[in-house]
Amino acid sequence: MRFRATIENAPIFYRLIQAVEKLQKKCIMKFTETEMHVICNDDANEGGIQVWSVVKVDTMFTSYRIQSNANNAITLTLSTEALLSALRSSSSSASSSSVAAAIIPSYDADEVVMKLAKKNEQAVLSFEMYGMSRSGRRVRVAHDVRIDVMRPAESDKLHEPRCPDPEVHVLLPPLLKIRTIVERLRPLSDVLALRANNSGILQLSINTDTVKLETQWVKCGNPSMAKHEIAQNDENDDAEDILLNKPDPDKMFCVLVSIRSFLKFLNSHVVSATTILCLCHNHCAILYVYIGEIADAGGVLTYYIPTVIDGDE
Amino acid sequence: MSQLMSQPSQSDKAKPLLTASVHDVRYFASLLRGIGFSNRASMRFTAGSGITVTVEEARTLLATSYVYADHFDEWAFDVDNLQAAPSQLSAPDFDRHATSFEIPLNTLLECLNIFGTANMSSSSSTGSKHKQWRRADDASDDERGDDARRPNANRIDQHFGGNEKRTSMRLTYAGPGYPLTLVLAEDSSGPTTTCEISTFDSEPNLELPFDAEQTALKIIFKSSFWLRDALSELDPSCEKITLIANPVADVQSAHRGIPAKPLFRIQGTGAFGSTEMDYPNDREVLETFECSRSVSFSYRFAHISRTLRALQNSTKTSLRLEQEGLLSLQFLVPVPRPRGGMSDSFIEFRCLALDDDVAQ
Repeated sequence: MRFRATIENAPIFYRLIQAVEKLQKKCIMKFTETEMHVICNDDANEGGIQVWSVVKVDTMFTSYRIQSNANNAITLTLSTEALLSALRSSSSSASSSSVAAAIIPSYDADEVVMKLAKKNEQAVLSFEMYGMSRSGRRVRVAHDVRIDVMRPAESDKLHEPRCPDPEVHVLLPPLLKIRTIVERLRPLSDVLALRANNSGILQLSINTDTVKLETQWVKCGNPSMAKHEIAQNDENDDAEDILLNKPDPDKMFCVLVSIRSFLKFLNSHVVSATTILCLCHNHCAILYVYIGEIADAGGVLTYYIPTVIDGDE
Repeated sequence: MSQLMSQPSQSDKAKPLLTASVHDVRYFASLLRGIGFSNRASMRFTAGSGITVTVEEARTLLATSYVYADHFDEWAFDVDNLQAAPSQLSAPDFDRHATSFEIPLNTLLECLNIFGTANMSSSSSTGSKHKQWRRADDASDDERGDDARRPNANRIDQHFGGNEKRTSMRLTYAGPGYPLTLVLAEDSSGPTTTCEISTFDSEPNLELPFDAEQTALKIIFKSSFWLRDALSELDPSCEKITLIANPVADVQSAHRGIPAKPLFRIQGTGAFGSTEMDYPNDREVLETFECSRSVSFSYRFAHISRTLRALQNSTKTSLRLEQEGLLSLQFLVPVPRPRGGMSDSFIEFRCLALDDDVAQ
């Protein structure tokens, strides 16, 4: 089993892990010949929320070399916080806040190499960077993140939650604004209703004995399915069927979710430039968070939030 | 707890009894927040005058916010639309021009602040440390003085008024049994929030009538700061606050074993000790001071400290003591008028004194 790659786009990698770190302490990473996956599917997660993200390796790495007995794929679990620390020190531009810049060592890493290694009988993902310090001396910094390699049998069992085709796709308004609103709703209700239609209307609402509140955005975009290539498979055929049937654009579709799990998703506002919400009526909400511009296809975080059963609605 | 009488979503069909709207909900929210120490509040809409919101605690403390109709951009109380149950209509004290109900106040405040822009940028009590006693020969004017004491509230508003988003609100109420409906928005391009808050039958409110004829002490603080500073100085472990005042003619400092007779003293006592703060007979501090006889009354510190939030947002405070010890604190809160200029709203706290035998 061999794995070695040079990280070209540390900021994207960093932001991806930053969003994931807020959700789960340990995550699963699966490297294949062409893609890197980051997966959080812990049952213990708030409201059953899961994150499955995929990045094409060309976007992030160069000199990518992988070899294993399982179709040249390697799956491992590691601590997201440890990974985040390693990435933070790999480049001063990795974390964009000025606060972090003060803590980051003042060298510019010329090259960051990530590879699978064994140190002291422990499997690690090693990050090695060479750079030049301010005084002109060569600096070598190494981070070793402990990992557990997953057996191929277990890795094969990993699969994204099966969902029906979503009825509606809507482009979300800035996540920070949504987060402000949902934070106000959190003390008032446990359940949040997400509603949207194909005419650009998005509604977030709560309904309890004490208060009924609904916030509505209009003129949101309804992107067509073709826009996100890194979506679920086998949908191309169904897409045509849907277009032919042309459902009523004003019909509202609804999914009830745990407000706390939706807030966990909203914590990913640090990375998102564009977010698309897809509703599978009464089943689940799927959120595609694009890191960087969609056109760049830098990376996508896919959040799955299952519906909750609520007596009132 | 009285019976819930809200009917779901019927209010869209009924013509509203009251429609009121304001383009900046911060002032309304701050008047409510000033008395927001309990979730149960009684709200009263009166045709000609406006909204009063009342909160009580332990049958001892009563706090009321007065939001006058002239603060609102739109105020329409349609007396003919008062929809009430027949039994209510025939009640002897039924008033066509007013309606009241109980409402969960914290829920209302969360809704008003849904976009996060309904907070006044009021200064914290730490800002007050910079205030110095003004010497007699200081020629500083009042305006500047007031502004300096609330540096954040006025200056930031002026500087950032254009950039900060404001939440506007439209409030409608169809009548007893219907929920209170609010429609809030920041601007035309952003989201709109509609909420319906359940209302309840109002229980008879605690009444603490203040008899002006029986006033033993009346003080108007030139700035609420003077009282706020003193109250924030008191250690939170304080249990009891005692207000002591003497007529101007009787004032003397302690000498030869005879205890002092201060003009006006706030004394805080608790398990850890006591604090005494004496006020001078300075017109720059106590704009008005009228004391007809020596008074000394104590109150639970927990109740008096409920007034701190209201104090923070007010410019002037009036303190009155009745002969039997009922305390009335009135806080003047400036609010903008729709067509420019400022008008005054009030928050009033009334508190019963602790029993003398127990207090001493």
